[in-house]
Amino acid sequence: MKPKLIIAIVAIIGFTSLLMYNFGESISTYTTFEDAKTMTNAHVAGTLDDTQDYGFSMETKQFSFYMKDEAGKAHRVIFPKPKPNNFEEADRLVVIGEMRGDVFYARDMLMKCPSKYNTVDPSQFTSVENS
Amino acid sequence: MIGIIGKVLISLSFVTGLGAGVLYFISAKNDDDKTLKIGNWLTGIQGLFLISASAMLVYLLFTHQFQYYYVFNYTSLDLPNKYLWSAFYGGQEGSFMLWIFFSWFFSLGLMKWVRAPYKAPVLFFLMLTQVFLLSMILGWHFGDISIGASPFRTIAEEMPNAPFIQANPNFVPADGSGLNDLLKSPWMMIHPPILFVGFAMMTIPYCFAMAALWKRKYNEWVNPALPWTLGANVALLTAIFLGGYWAYVTLSFGGFWAWDPVENASLVPWLFGTAGIHTMIIQRKSSIAQKSSLILAILAYVAIVYETFLTRSGILSDSSVHSFVDLGLYGQLLIFMIVITGLGLGMFFWRYKELPTQQKESKFLSREFMTFTGAVLLLILGLVIIFGTSSPIIGLLFNERPTPPEMSFYNTWSMPLVIIMALFTVVGQFLFWKRHSAKSLVSALTYPIIIALTATVASVVFGDVRDPYYMFYLFAGWFAVIGNGWIMIRLILDNPLLIGGTVTHIGFGTLLIGILASSAFNTPLLDKKTADYNKQVKAGLITDEQGFKVTDPITMLNLDLDEPTLINNQYIVTYQGYELDDRVRPGQQTYKILFEPINGDKPFYLNAEVYPMLATATEGNLQWSVDPDVHTGLFRDIYLYVAGSSYVTQRNNSMERKAGKQKSAADGADVPPTQTIKFSKGSIVSVDGFEMNFLDYAMEDTTNLPPNTTIGVRAQIEFKHIASGERFLLEPLFALYNEEGKTFVFSPPVELDKYGLSFSFSKVYPETNEIDVEITGLTEEYQSEWVLIVAEHKPFISVVWLGTFLIMIGFSISIFRHWNRERKVK
Repeated sequence: MKPKLIIAIVAIIGFTSLLMYNFGESISTYTTFEDAKTMTNAHVAGTLDDTQDYGFSMETKQFSFYMKDEAGKAHRVIFPKPKPNNFEEADRLVVIGEMRGDVFYARDMLMKCPSKYNTVDPSQFTSVENS
Repeated sequence: MIGIIGKVLISLSFVTGLGAGVLYFISAKNDDDKTLKIGNWLTGIQGLFLISASAMLVYLLFTHQFQYYYVFNYTSLDLPNKYLWSAFYGGQEGSFMLWIFFSWFFSLGLMKWVRAPYKAPVLFFLMLTQVFLLSMILGWHFGDISIGASPFRTIAEEMPNAPFIQANPNFVPADGSGLNDLLKSPWMMIHPPILFVGFAMMTIPYCFAMAALWKRKYNEWVNPALPWTLGANVALLTAIFLGGYWAYVTLSFGGFWAWDPVENASLVPWLFGTAGIHTMIIQRKSSIAQKSSLILAILAYVAIVYETFLTRSGILSDSSVHSFVDLGLYGQLLIFMIVITGLGLGMFFWRYKELPTQQKESKFLSREFMTFTGAVLLLILGLVIIFGTSSPIIGLLFNERPTPPEMSFYNTWSMPLVIIMALFTVVGQFLFWKRHSAKSLVSALTYPIIIALTATVASVVFGDVRDPYYMFYLFAGWFAVIGNGWIMIRLILDNPLLIGGTVTHIGFGTLLIGILASSAFNTPLLDKKTADYNKQVKAGLITDEQGFKVTDPITMLNLDLDEPTLINNQYIVTYQGYELDDRVRPGQQTYKILFEPINGDKPFYLNAEVYPMLATATEGNLQWSVDPDVHTGLFRDIYLYVAGSSYVTQRNNSMERKAGKQKSAADGADVPPTQTIKFSKGSIVSVDGFEMNFLDYAMEDTTNLPPNTTIGVRAQIEFKHIASGERFLLEPLFALYNEEGKTFVFSPPVELDKYGLSFSFSKVYPETNEIDVEITGLTEEYQSEWVLIVAEHKPFISVVWLGTFLIMIGFSISIFRHWNRERKVK
């Protein structure tokens, strides 16, 4: 084999494994509140529990609500931003953050809205991350 | 009836398209001109059928025929005409029609301009795409198998099991469910058509590459393909820009790019197309890189089809929060993708052995090597992004329910790649126009390097950049701007038509600088109290009620009506009330927030909007959407949205009360029987489900009053019951009279029996145009007006747009040049 070809193959393998490794690090798995207790960057999926009060507090400038995770357990979630657009409409919520005691502190929240509103644009899916 | 005609027209369009495709295939196989001509006629007829079907759909939309599911789902009676047009491509079916239309339109151009031997095979492959796309909107059913989802299907066909359809098969809803309010934006009207122009044009390089492989003519095809590829890239970039701008100004994302799968879907083909442009240019100049040009032209279109598959098939919906409406087209989209990819790669590898190979390797310091490297880097960047976007599939290797990668994944990988790209653009451009040895290159680059270093140091100092990686990145950006600018100036003196490439590269460098400056240096605008609180949070001094350390700073600011607040030591900000407007979005409030720079610059207003999402409102539950406002400046934008207000809170409270949801009984208990509320002229007071607007004074004729009256004035107050929309004009009187040397106020109450309220006008503040009105009978305590805002400084967003524009201009200049040359060949 030509040395150039070997270099190229090594480079490609090196690049791909680095990419795979980094990719594996940066994705995570959807989980429940129970499992999130041991994680610092948990993605918990669930639905809004609207039998309990939710709303934005003017004093602490936080939005808080109860979310039922996929195991059916509801926990309070605190989100340090205003209530996002389309919040109630979402048929699935994903909160990203960590558990502290019984409360989940979300850094970011993703909402999936009913497909009726889906179009060619990202409007149906609002990330509230300010960046 | 119209629906059936529409369906028939689409079917006819599909069949004639199929016929044209077969004829093109025969013509390409036998080099027969006669079949080609018949094929062209069929294509023309196919387009006419499609246009007629589109006209039918437009007619249905404009006449509000809600028995059709598409009309019902995307429009409503109150939708302005311009948005009825956007509803046409608001759903999947209509957007397919738009895509086919543009594809067909460009096929007319190809009929005119493409020469043999490419003509017939190019038209064949273009028709192949159109036939596939047409099959997505056929709406044919054979037993359990259905092909396509017709835009003309009725509600009864869509939901045959719904109870109201079972009861009455001819049920026609009185109103549609309306277009998503977020899409009611002028940007959203033009974004999709331009995107589909890009999609349709990006098919053309694929067609040329396939024709070249079929006809074994591997060299000449790049000449005609180049301007089309450039055109596709300009269209895609414009669409990406419009999407980003829309996300910035109408969504509260807070940014223009979020590595969203849908955004990536339009970026990857652009990157592959740009890579293809690079190899096509060196193929044209030096007759090398035929393989790369072919494969990149194929991949650019494959990327479009693959991302179309990802975003439209619903495959993202289970494992990710992302999805599009699933029309059950999974199988068809999969076949489309497999056929396009399989044909493309299959043909390529079938012919691979006989494709021209480069005899002599290019030197490292040659334009061929540099340009080729640029293409490879673009390709790698595109592959990394595809990799991340495919997380629902690839992530399965890591766990069962993978989430999308974090944004940092994309940033980590794209940053080094774009740095190398930026450096290579300059070296490449220097070598492109002149041969250089290593030594002469270094001396030629000395001045650009010095200037770029100076600019980098200046921006590092100015922007207080601490991270060495960012410094290097900034240098790469400046180097691209200055190095390419250097070449551009020389080219302008020589032949201005040649500057396309340098302008594009300058735009690229500008974009890099703009991206860093705008995303790394966002600062929230806060008052001193909040800023101090945030400092304490940062120092870890604040704990919450659970005893945990608070880690998130507050990024919001509360403003009371007419109370100036100093923020960031830069602006005096005053909330001056809001206006209600029902014209575009019923119930929309436009908040007036005045910014007065303390350095004496011109004051300006930010008018952020909040509106109820009526399309999804239920009894007792109203959702509010925000529309930010941006004050654009040369160096920085001020971005602001209203996150809450007293008006919204009151509307919510009264909704809840009506629905009997209010839980705390204490709320109603402490309401004083009579409240004194201050009105200022022109601003609305909202309390207890009523809105009152103090319009003006009306002078009272004092002759009707007792003789000792010194002054008599009435206030005209427009009173509105929000729920019913009922309005009254109230004119309570305020009079002063003298008796025995003393002044007395006479303010007889005005009764509004219907709501059990009485009003008396008790005080005037002449200097501020404000009055006090005492209101008896309200069941809710009036709270002073406030608004909660999120405001940010976004520096140098304008630089991002500038970079984007420069890239567009550069590409356009190149289109002009290559197109001119192509025309002269004839």
